[in-house]
Amino acid sequence: MRPVLVLRRRPGECVLIGDEIEIEVLAVTHQGAKIGIRAPKATIVLRKELRITQEQNALAGQGLSTADFRDAIKKLRPKTQEPTFLPDKRFEN
Amino acid sequence: MRSVETKYFGTLPCAEESVFEFPLALPGFEDQRAFVLIETPDSAPLVFLQSLYRASLCFLAFPILVVDQNYQLAIAPEDLEALSLETGRQPALGAEVVVLALVSLHGGFVATANLMAPVVLNLKPRRGLQAIRRDRVYSHQHPVHGQAEAERGCVPC
Repeated sequence: MRPVLVLRRRPGECVLIGDEIEIEVLAVTHQGAKIGIRAPKATIVLRKELRITQEQNALAGQGLSTADFRDAIKKLRPKTQEPTFLPDKRFEN
Repeated sequence: MRSVETKYFGTLPCAEESVFEFPLALPGFEDQRAFVLIETPDSAPLVFLQSLYRASLCFLAFPILVVDQNYQLAIAPEDLEALSLETGRQPALGAEVVVLALVSLHGGFVATANLMAPVVLNLKPRRGLQAIRRDRVYSHQHPVHGQAEAERGCVPC
């Protein structure tokens, strides 16, 4: 991780990143800070949790190889053999 | 009845009304907007979220309470709206929505579940969405072993 630069900004004040990216603090409330971002169209701006979710989904989407399937399911299941819910009356609306 | 080609179970019959539409897709899989939920006695409580149009895409998932029986929902109002749920409150687990934690495997069957971004399935209408939490209360890589093994008895999804 790179070191973090910490700045204190008030609503209406801006920060520049490089020549083309401008971040303005629009409002600060108890619910959070509202920020505005001005950047070139080609710059991807993402909430970090969305990127984390994309990456985690990519890993989750790999799943199992079909050869490993039965073994893996056994290992993933809880050790108790009691059913945790009955399949599948809930969906028969 | 239509059929769905699945990753692990061959071709299965699939009623139209058992399909969950994901109008916002899943992050990282932006072209996948329809899934079916597959549950089998052999794998319960593990369930499978199978893409309707890409057989090779099938997520493993646990009902979220299997991973953490004290899990507290915090679905953002705009996500509730996209799911056609009331925005003023959190929906009832099991009755209104099924909430799943997607499982990732990290080799050697070490598994984690994503509690930061659960998949919420509204049962009526059948619509799904991955509800990314805005807080940092839960991990996107919550260890599954131990938790799942300690789990006993009945829990709703």
